[in-house]
Amino acid sequence: MAEQSRNSWISKDDPKLVSSRQKDMFEDILEERKLNSDLRYCFKTRDEPKFKLNKARTPAQIKEHVLNSDRVQYAIEQACMETKLPKSDVTAEACAILDEMAHNLRMGAVRSFAFGLIKIFKALYQRIYVNVDGIQKIRGMVKEYPILLMPSHRSYMDFLLMSYVFYHYDLPLPVIAAAMDFLGMQFVGWLLRNSGAFYIRRSFGDDHLYWAVFTEYVQTQICNGDAPIEFYVEGTRSRTSKSYTPKFGMLSAALEPYFKSHIPDIMVVPVSISYDRILEESLYAYELLGVPKPKESTSGLLKARKILEEDFGNIHIYFGEPISIRKYSEGLVDRSLHNLAPRYIASLTNQEQDLIKKLGHHMILTHQKHMVVSPWSMMAAVLMQSQGGISLRQLAKEVEWVKRQASNMGAYIDWPASESAETVLRANIKLHHNIVRVAEDDVVELVRVAPPAHAKATDALMITAGQHLMLSLYRNHILHVFVRPAMIAISVNTCNEEKLTLDDLYNKYSFLEQLLSKDFVFVPGHTKDDFELSLRTLTHTSGVVLEENEVVIGKSTNKLTTFYSQMFEPFLLGYWILCQYLLSNHPSVAGKPLAKTQKILVKEAQMMTARLLQEGVVKHYEVLSLDMMNNGLHALYHMGGVSKERRDGSVYMYPNTRQLSNITDQLAKFIDVPRLPSVSINLHSKTVTVNAKL
Amino acid sequence: MATKNAIEDVAHNEKSRLSGEMQSLGKICNIEHKMCSNSGESSNGGLDPEPPSIPKRRQELLKWNGWGYKDSKFFVNKDGHVEFTGERYRISGSTMPGLRDWMTKTIGISLDQKTPSQPEISAANIPLPVKNESFVADLRKTSISNSDDCQDRLFRAHGHTLHEIFLLREGKFDRIPDLVIWPASHDEVVKVVELACKHNVVVIPFGGGTSVSNALECPLEEKRMIVSLDTSQMNRILWVDEKNMTMRAECGIIGQDLERKLAERGLCTGHEPDSMEFSSLGGWVATRASGMKKNIYGNIEDLLVHVKMVTPRGVMEKNCQVPRMSCGPDIHHFILGSEGTLGVVTEVTLKVRPLPPCKKYGSIVFPDFECGVKCMREVAKQRCAPASIRLMDNEQFQFGHALKVESKSILTNFLDGLKKLYITKLKGFDPMKLAVATLLFEGTKEEVAAKEKRVYEIAAMFRGIPGGADNGERGYMLTFVIAYLRDIAFDYYVVAESFETSVPWDRCLDLCQNVKERLHRECKDNGIQFPPYITCRVTQTYDSGACVYFYFAFNYRGISNPVHLYEHIETCGREEILANGGSISHHHGVGKIRKQWLRKTIGDIGLGTLQAVKQYIDPNNIFGNNNLMIGQNFGGVVQQEAANVLLPSKL
Repeated sequence: MAEQSRNSWISKDDPKLVSSRQKDMFEDILEERKLNSDLRYCFKTRDEPKFKLNKARTPAQIKEHVLNSDRVQYAIEQACMETKLPKSDVTAEACAILDEMAHNLRMGAVRSFAFGLIKIFKALYQRIYVNVDGIQKIRGMVKEYPILLMPSHRSYMDFLLMSYVFYHYDLPLPVIAAAMDFLGMQFVGWLLRNSGAFYIRRSFGDDHLYWAVFTEYVQTQICNGDAPIEFYVEGTRSRTSKSYTPKFGMLSAALEPYFKSHIPDIMVVPVSISYDRILEESLYAYELLGVPKPKESTSGLLKARKILEEDFGNIHIYFGEPISIRKYSEGLVDRSLHNLAPRYIASLTNQEQDLIKKLGHHMILTHQKHMVVSPWSMMAAVLMQSQGGISLRQLAKEVEWVKRQASNMGAYIDWPASESAETVLRANIKLHHNIVRVAEDDVVELVRVAPPAHAKATDALMITAGQHLMLSLYRNHILHVFVRPAMIAISVNTCNEEKLTLDDLYNKYSFLEQLLSKDFVFVPGHTKDDFELSLRTLTHTSGVVLEENEVVIGKSTNKLTTFYSQMFEPFLLGYWILCQYLLSNHPSVAGKPLAKTQKILVKEAQMMTARLLQEGVVKHYEVLSLDMMNNGLHALYHMGGVSKERRDGSVYMYPNTRQLSNITDQLAKFIDVPRLPSVSINLHSKTVTVNAKL
Repeated sequence: MATKNAIEDVAHNEKSRLSGEMQSLGKICNIEHKMCSNSGESSNGGLDPEPPSIPKRRQELLKWNGWGYKDSKFFVNKDGHVEFTGERYRISGSTMPGLRDWMTKTIGISLDQKTPSQPEISAANIPLPVKNESFVADLRKTSISNSDDCQDRLFRAHGHTLHEIFLLREGKFDRIPDLVIWPASHDEVVKVVELACKHNVVVIPFGGGTSVSNALECPLEEKRMIVSLDTSQMNRILWVDEKNMTMRAECGIIGQDLERKLAERGLCTGHEPDSMEFSSLGGWVATRASGMKKNIYGNIEDLLVHVKMVTPRGVMEKNCQVPRMSCGPDIHHFILGSEGTLGVVTEVTLKVRPLPPCKKYGSIVFPDFECGVKCMREVAKQRCAPASIRLMDNEQFQFGHALKVESKSILTNFLDGLKKLYITKLKGFDPMKLAVATLLFEGTKEEVAAKEKRVYEIAAMFRGIPGGADNGERGYMLTFVIAYLRDIAFDYYVVAESFETSVPWDRCLDLCQNVKERLHRECKDNGIQFPPYITCRVTQTYDSGACVYFYFAFNYRGISNPVHLYEHIETCGREEILANGGSISHHHGVGKIRKQWLRKTIGDIGLGTLQAVKQYIDPNNIFGNNNLMIGQNFGGVVQQEAANVLLPSKL
């Protein structure tokens, strides 16, 4: 009884003995599953709250309602007039669309689905953390409001997890807007459909009938509150672990019932899902390099089962504060503007579209705010900047420093308090053993592993780039924390004068924001506020010194500003190379630059980058990312550096030489630009010829 | 002598042009001779044997701080049950055993927690009158009856909004009329308005005083003398013309008197607003009133054949009484709904109909409100609505049920039990969901029978089953009794009010649901601790839409400023109504309480038009009651946004 002398109030005084089942606002929902029977769990009686205005319907009744709705009937009528087809044909088409789309949520399927999920989750993950207060809020809301769930989207796991969490907490299972990809998978497609997935085509442009069926299908379920509706405001899985800019189609369709006063209110719930390790990490890395993702198939899934032997760490799911669309739009939209036409005909007003844009951005920023930053993503940030390798101790020191900065910026950092920094680092290196390892002299370095089978990459460059991009995924996870102050830091660091006025600084800031606006998410119209807040943050963390509304450059270039600058340098360099490619390597016909599709432009720019990497002119492998090139191209388009035109229904782009030169010159002031050899590219022969050696 | 006098009066009023024709119309009848007497103080035309049912000193007959007659009110009797006093109504002298429980359960009333009204407001707390001496001097020369007694003035300073009644019970008024004038004829009105114009005195017409839009409230900032022009003494029926089935009466006649006197001749106007016991003919025209039985008789604008209005510019009227004419915009529509901003309505010709030989109540029970609305829509579509058809939601049905008077008959109780059993057990209706439509049929026996058959057939299509005449009748009783009920609610910490709107059919159901939902939400957000009582009924049907009526009450124990809070929540409710495609008002009017939405409703050009008319007719704002378009800033930017909606959608 050695413990007798100790305080009887304390039962575990060794911190190592305290499990991390509960942590801050999070609780782990996986542990009890590891201890109890899965079967009983799957057959437990569920006590779901129901929306109070709900009238119980079967999935078949929902379909019937959609088909007979004013909106779809009107669309059918219009389609008949346009196509001169008999009504029965068009109706049959509408039925076919609906059959392809509709979910068939059934409790039986859900239970067996849950059974399978638990097995998978237990194999893959250590803990699945959920913030319980968020769940409590949702429980309270389900009875009162129709609910829209908008999770962040970085893995296929997202929607399995969401359904699982809702199952776990006895909440009504969400129905999920899924892309058609899964539909090709036998059994899995069926299982998902029966577990609440409904399928929408990625683009249906001008197909009015499809649009009508889709809109009505979504809206009737919102109005009747049949189930919470889940969709991804980013539109698709982020391959880069950065948030994608919001898409508004589904959001508009989902909120329209409020604007048209079908229902009193809708609650929108942002959900942030953070992974310690992303299941698709290497697939993403190679996809970014241009290797197409393998088509989803059941056999592919079975082949991938060896992945079950791997450890993917923890997951944090944070349910954000639900937003009442009524309160959010108070004073901003006038719903009575819809009074003058039948509600199924008129479209949304400008006010409403602006509001939807604002809300979409707000959702993404909320996702980011509640992302959990793991030690590994900070390690990745440091490792990305020290490509030659870094000692474990140095890494620990740097990570400690980054942690302090991130925490000052308001990031939530998942750092086990009871462990030493080195232990934490080693644990993370172990978790990501496919990316890094500790070499003999305690130096942390990237490992070389074979690319996934489908990638067929033999090229050494590709393999190295793959590793780098994989690492960059995890660094990307925290970039949103730093991007705004970094744009100030970069401006300060690259200033050649002694002093920089705030106006000039702001101009530089807004230029960078425009450039980066596709790679990062900024709320339109908030530039000034963001700028001021970031400047204040930087001055308060003594990164930047202000004297009489001017930045004193000498005092302001320090470790902090340098670190920020370097963090974002690859993006600016990537854009600059893109500009160079567009400017100097672009054939023109009688003075007019040749128009090409975006795909080809981006591919060629990537080829040029590859060559530059091989030549050793540039060092950042992540510049090979097609995603970065695409985003750069889009930003340039919005800045007027590139123009679009439609030919044969597809979009062709070409540079606006003058404007683009301006942008390029301005951009060059922010980075150390390499001297470029003159190169020519031939996509068909896949060759890049360097015309003159450096 | 008196008869002759009256005839001359009429002849004079009609500028003699009618008199010749009138004599040729054999059946035209001047009924003045029946009611001639001299009440002494009236100067002319008041030779009336039967005094107006509402005396000049209204407070002698009517409650000074609540609804209706002094002798009629709800109270909690010694057994702790709610009882209704007096002998005027069918429920007078009866107890309603279910009501107390309903009140405690539904809105959390506690019988020990009372908030009785303050004692009558004494002269010391009533503002001194502003006197325009020259006006008063000129008025004295005319011998038109008037009074500056403070209680007379106070009584005409308010209508019956929650705000006003609460002020009477708990507070005081800062601005009330300075003088009450009772003109006895059109000519006296002309005289009064002339004098008011001459001396720049404000005239606020007062009819039955049943306004629920703050229309009678005196503008606080008004420094001129304010005269309340009480029309109650102008209550004669001038003639009845059975050839054309019309009748002409003075503006001050109140609904029940008009119908009673016409009934003596086997006629009726059929205009029965819920306030008909007190509201006046002139008031109906000036507020665009609507009657319960409008399906047969029409609303006031449908009944109106001719109207005379005294304005600062002179008398506005048409020169003929024709069923319709194409003559530019109808000037009657400047008068209808003008809410006392342009002049005083003095005489009105309405259509009359023969009294229906058969009158029958009925009701239909629906499994839920949605079925009920669908049925109402179908009835409207087939244009076979009975005189009245109203759909009460479940909350209102339960309320009506609680008003059931104690039944002495065991048989009735037994039959009621059977009926309930049939509906809930056999038909499987959920008593917490079902909705009830109340019906009133009028016409000949055959017409009623045919209509009944048709309506019940349509009802069956929407799972509706006949629920008996009793339920129907009680539903209608509720609307008359509700105003009395509010007074007892006041005694127990409850504030209550009704408001209404009109809405297209396709939005009817959503509007009912969303407005109720919004009110509940606002109650919660504003910290009201007891469940509020919120209910609605679809109370009128039209070809293209319906009229929806809301009751809203809450228990304000624990809340410091209940009226302010009530108004805030009602404002939210109205915002929700407008956002749901509803209107600013179906029949209560705008007054001051809903002015904030007038511009939005009729647009800048519409508002400007009204103001231009006001500017022409009354440039000095003599009719300065500050209702409707008066005092609204003009010159706002025309909204760009509106064009948006008309863009074709993605469809």
